[in-house]
Amino acid sequence: MTGSHPRGRQALVLALLAAGLVAAVLLAVGVGAVRVPPSALLRLAAWHLGFHGVSLPSQQETTILLLIRLPRVLAALLVGAGLAAGGVVMQGLFRNPMASPDILGVSTGGSLGAVVAIATGLAGASPLFLPALAVAGALAAAFLIYAISSYRGKTSLLFVVLAGLAISSFFNGLVSAILLFARQYEVSQFIFWTMGGLDGRTWRQVLMAVPVLLPGLAVMAFYARELNLLALGEEGAQSLGLGVEAAKRLLLAATAVVAGVAISVSGPVGFVGLLIPHLFRLLLGPDHRVLLPASILGGALFLILCDLAGRVLAPPFEIRVGIITAVLGSPYFLFLILRAQRRRLQLG
Amino acid sequence: MADSPGAPPLLCAEALGLRIDDRQILRGVSLQVQAGEFLGLIGPNGAGKTTLLRLLLGVLKPTAGEVRLKGQALSGLGARARARVIAYLSQEEVSPFAFPVLDLVLMGRYPHRGRLERERESDLDKARRALSYVGLSGFEERYFHELSGGERQLVLFARVLAQEAELLLLDEPTSNLDIRHQDLFFSMALELTREGKAVVACVHDLDVASRYCSRLVLLDRGRVAADGAPASVLRPEILDAVFEIPTMVTPNAATGSLSVSVVPRCWPGEGPRVHLIGGAGGAVNLTRELTRLGCRVSGGIAHEFDADHTLWRNLRLPCRVVGAFQRIGHEDVRGAAALVEEADLTVLASFPVGPGNLENLRLAARARRLVILASGPEDPPRTFFSEEGRELFTGLSARWPVKDYASLARELQEGRIPGADRPAG
Repeated sequence: MTGSHPRGRQALVLALLAAGLVAAVLLAVGVGAVRVPPSALLRLAAWHLGFHGVSLPSQQETTILLLIRLPRVLAALLVGAGLAAGGVVMQGLFRNPMASPDILGVSTGGSLGAVVAIATGLAGASPLFLPALAVAGALAAAFLIYAISSYRGKTSLLFVVLAGLAISSFFNGLVSAILLFARQYEVSQFIFWTMGGLDGRTWRQVLMAVPVLLPGLAVMAFYARELNLLALGEEGAQSLGLGVEAAKRLLLAATAVVAGVAISVSGPVGFVGLLIPHLFRLLLGPDHRVLLPASILGGALFLILCDLAGRVLAPPFEIRVGIITAVLGSPYFLFLILRAQRRRLQLG
Repeated sequence: MADSPGAPPLLCAEALGLRIDDRQILRGVSLQVQAGEFLGLIGPNGAGKTTLLRLLLGVLKPTAGEVRLKGQALSGLGARARARVIAYLSQEEVSPFAFPVLDLVLMGRYPHRGRLERERESDLDKARRALSYVGLSGFEERYFHELSGGERQLVLFARVLAQEAELLLLDEPTSNLDIRHQDLFFSMALELTREGKAVVACVHDLDVASRYCSRLVLLDRGRVAADGAPASVLRPEILDAVFEIPTMVTPNAATGSLSVSVVPRCWPGEGPRVHLIGGAGGAVNLTRELTRLGCRVSGGIAHEFDADHTLWRNLRLPCRVVGAFQRIGHEDVRGAAALVEEADLTVLASFPVGPGNLENLRLAARARRLVILASGPEDPPRTFFSEEGRELFTGLSARWPVKDYASLARELQEGRIPGADRPAG
């Protein structure tokens, strides 16, 4: 808002991100085993909007675009946006740059829900079950964290991170236990799912995610200013007239829902929720009214590009997007820890 | 500023009680805060000062009693409406994220704006004015976490000011600050009370509380032990029981406020009994040193209000005293004789001898053992206004040893009683 994070720069970065996102979508739908010119999608859209003067892409190109590439790219967009937004909210709530949905166990909760859906066969019975159970698992993890962290009113950040770790391990244990009793087919199905990928995503998954994701993101946006207030500490924010407990509950629920839905679409994709908010906080400052939209755009852009990289790096093989983000994210996380240590930042 | 008669007080706590699980944190706490008051909450650690502040703020609900703001129940007030009247500075750490100073100060405007309203130019103005009030103009774009501890606290104070509340609740606002920032902070708070705001602050430092606060409330294990002007609350007979340590209260000559300190620890019944004959402050250093060595010290005959007597009274040592500038008479010497004769050692400090205190030399002559203290650089000089005094002293110094501080202290420390027994005759 001020100084080295002037409004002009913030507006510029947001505009660049939006433009970059559009460009990335066009690029990503064009690249693949069959090359489709980037203009094909635009021409198709223009034709459907009534500009019949443009030349329509070929039938094959249209099919590849609409049935294979576009849902996949949109899935990447939604997952990236959701995970990054979840990261922004978790870091703001816990006032800790190390917080993110995956580190706090919310992602593992989603995985547990998903494996229950797969192992019980519910996932096969109706396509709604896997996302619903993933969201339920994420919510359960979020509220365990909430309950533990507000025990006796005091929220020690180190304690929250440790609790997240414990909950993660516990849920991972449950996942392993369930898989032990599952049939071979389900196990391989789940293991494939845990690698986090976007291949074969269809409109059905995209259209199921949107109506849940958008309200979740809206709640977060509605509370952006309140996330800023939490910088003063919970009592400080409370003294300014913010209902802190209600806001915390609502924001945790929104994060769990958004992260849970994202995970149900792609499987767990690590580090987006950690890396993206942190990057944009460095660029734009910690004001959540700017940080949240920037991270949503940036997360979407990042995941589309990661997925694209996975498709073009070693053809004809596809590197799953979760592997790409982990390879990029882990060194970055290490860098964060080392820097925090150098600056003697307190995590607790 | 002044309330019209009959108007309810700005804030009023009625028989507040707080029980968490089986622990009674606060019990029957009643207090009122008027506009223009600077109320200090003092008391030992764990007495419930911060908890009381939270109850007054309304973020914690009492299990008994009620807080009323301008006559209305605080619990019935919406959080934002409350935040426009009461501001709070907590002891929490601010987030490690790089917030510019102005953004933090602007947060004080939150209760004045709608949920999705952006700050207006007037809010920015108020934030900048608050920053300039605390002397941090030009800091608007600096990062909060890069400032010094004192500057940070001033920024947070500016945030409180930008809130434009009538009542400021401050939780140990200067506990980490150096004396310059401490004075700056409290002077500003004091100025605000003169402008008609009310301040309630938890204060650990009793000297600071006495210096700036117009009223003190002393909490003791969740109850109000005393409530009133600093001079009526900061009294050893009240403080000793609450802090569970003997205290002494001395006025600060420069500021007129009170200074509270702990009476130096001594071990009753262990050391030798030493009687000090002083005057004009000549026995002050000796009293402190001997008490520290564990001697059971008595003093006299002193004149009331002189430095020796003030110290003996504060330390609650047995002593004899006559009125200020009064002549010490034979009957006073007879009255003090018991202290001298029972003492293992009597020390004659260095002080000017005039008609008023000549008899103190006769008192010294009655000692079982006497040491004449060589006058040190910080002691009043041993001068005589009359030949009689000089002769009396010459007689004493012919019979008893003269020693300096160091050798006297060393011998006492080694368990020896300096000087020989009283010579015959």
